[in-house]
Amino acid sequence: MNDLQPALPVLSARDLCREFSLPGDRSLEVLRHLDLDIHEAEMVAIVGLSGVGKSTLLHCLGLLDTPSSGQITYRSGGQTWQSPGLNEPQRCGLRNQFIGFVFQFFHLLSDLDVLENVMLPAIVGTPKSDWKQRKPQIEAKARTLLETVGLAGREEQAPGTLSGGERQRVAIARALINNPRLLLCDEPTGNLDSSTSEKIHTLLRQLHEDLGTSILVVTHDPDLASRADRRLAMIDGRFEKSADHPSD
Amino acid sequence: MQYQTFLSKRYLKRRWAPWAATVAVALGVFSLISVLAVMEGFKLEMKERIRGSLSHLVVKGSAMRLLVGEDPLLQAARQTEGVEAASPFIETLAIYKSTVLDYCILRGIDPSTEPEVSDFDLYLLSDDEIEQLQADPFRMLPEDRPPPDPQRVADVFSLERRRQMLRWNLRGDAGVGFAEEAPPQGLVVGIEALRSGRLALGDIVQLSTYSPVSYEPRIGKFIVVGAFQSGVYEQDQRWAYSDIRALQQLLDLWDEEAQDMRISGISLRLADYSQASQIKDQIHQEISRRMDLDPTEEDAIPWRSLEVKTWENQRENLLQAVEIEKRIIAAMMLLIVAFAAAMIFLILMLLVIEKNRDLGVLRALGATRSGVVQLVLKQGMFLCITGAAIGLLGGWLLTENINAVHESIYRATGLRLFPPDIYYLEQIPAHLRWQDMVLVCAPTLIFGFFGSLFPALWAGRRDPIKALHHE
Repeated sequence: MNDLQPALPVLSARDLCREFSLPGDRSLEVLRHLDLDIHEAEMVAIVGLSGVGKSTLLHCLGLLDTPSSGQITYRSGGQTWQSPGLNEPQRCGLRNQFIGFVFQFFHLLSDLDVLENVMLPAIVGTPKSDWKQRKPQIEAKARTLLETVGLAGREEQAPGTLSGGERQRVAIARALINNPRLLLCDEPTGNLDSSTSEKIHTLLRQLHEDLGTSILVVTHDPDLASRADRRLAMIDGRFEKSADHPSD
Repeated sequence: MQYQTFLSKRYLKRRWAPWAATVAVALGVFSLISVLAVMEGFKLEMKERIRGSLSHLVVKGSAMRLLVGEDPLLQAARQTEGVEAASPFIETLAIYKSTVLDYCILRGIDPSTEPEVSDFDLYLLSDDEIEQLQADPFRMLPEDRPPPDPQRVADVFSLERRRQMLRWNLRGDAGVGFAEEAPPQGLVVGIEALRSGRLALGDIVQLSTYSPVSYEPRIGKFIVVGAFQSGVYEQDQRWAYSDIRALQQLLDLWDEEAQDMRISGISLRLADYSQASQIKDQIHQEISRRMDLDPTEEDAIPWRSLEVKTWENQRENLLQAVEIEKRIIAAMMLLIVAFAAAMIFLILMLLVIEKNRDLGVLRALGATRSGVVQLVLKQGMFLCITGAAIGLLGGWLLTENINAVHESIYRATGLRLFPPDIYYLEQIPAHLRWQDMVLVCAPTLIFGFFGSLFPALWAGRRDPIKALHHE
């Protein structure tokens, strides 16, 4: 009968709050009792004005920041992890294996070439003892991903020699190298011109459809938001209920 | 491959600034190794030269009463296991007048047995060698001298030699007051006394001293019959040797009570110097036992206070001074290494600031705090270990070729960094010990570790969110 039950979300956030202490015993509540589910192969867009807490939410969901209260559950292949309750290695392991990050400013490492940048999460996540055995597979996968994002033949180039759109493609390939269940994109086209943004939107949507990776994208860009399965508007640390539009 | 190793290689491959720290560490280690090796070489050379003039062990009486019973003392010493040879000696201070009034440490030795306990025969110069060494004030005895003939010591104090020298002296001045048939007693002086022009071969020297027994002034005339070069400047300038019997007569050392001549002590050569401490105690016990016997017993030795010392005990102050000097220089020079560690610290701090965003990205990609700490620490230790290894290799190479390098500098610039007239050495002695290598490398690595640890911990504490906000 399990087949008839709806699949559990890849990520569930419940009653999520995040407060920042300010001088003089004051505090700033950035996230206010947020609930969020992201399902398997779902693309969710979060929109809102600057300062409403979109990036803070992304950091909390990405385990880079710790919520003041509330709970986040991550699910993959029958396994469940709940935060709080994760230690440092578990948080890092989830960031490495479960989550892929795409940043507004790409954040490629200038000392590595394009291929090495894409391979980096896999290098971080591979134990020293397995490296020799896994290296050919990782490298092959990185090349395939670069081909997928349209950068075949650019493997040896330094990131500094690429255009903004190309760098973001490298960043997307990097985010996908470990087959994450969830891609967290923070203003992925916020630093690109409209034509390049359009290409990145198309690429993200295509990867989402091809790979089935769940995507949570924080954006100001209405075009990108419109391509999501669901769009959530954030105001003052909360989701605006009326903005939640399941694509179907 | 761990990502720390992977990234460290990339970071260090594309920057030259971190290598400045490696160069600083290498220079520090190189300097320390070289200096310690030269100082150790100096110390060994000095010890060897001092040891050559002294015997392994000496049994000495008090300055006033000396020791009595030369034969039983020698017998007691020679019967002790581990003692190879024993020889009596007298030691006193004397002044003499030549061109100026000067003083010397006058040692009376037994010419027939002295070569068995010290290297005096090795240091004794032939007439040709004296001539050569006087002609060149920097010249040292060649390493490849023929093996010494112990008989030369007896020959130099012999009547025939004294007559020969007196005949030679009389050619220049007939009014010396000695007939050829009865020449004065022989005196062997250090080569520096001849080089300075204060004495010359064949000179008749009037030595003035005091008898340690009667406290009466004693004056004796000696003829300079030979010279020695020990390699220790002070000894070569101040020490003089004569026949022990002549000196006993001069100092009036007859002991009425014991009906025997007094001696300052006996010198001993040991089969194995590493056993010196044990043998020293055994000899002290044996002689003390025999001194406690009834004087009528056959083995009895007249009681006198005595002490037994190794040659190192005798020159303890000098050897300690050299050792302390070496330690002080090492401690001062460790500051260079500390400076290099400070460079590692600064360079890594700059690297952490420069790579702040990269570290944030790494954390976002799954790197742990400790992983980031290791990344920075690995780079620091790699720079430090590489520098230490280069410095060690460079120091070893210099130590092995220090004289060739010195010679090249001299040929190229005409500058002698190591003037032999000052150091009394023809070659720069250098000896690299593994203990000194450890003494240099251990603090270097410790400094390097702590120089890297703080930037590493700082990197681990960086907030990835703040780092990612920067473009």
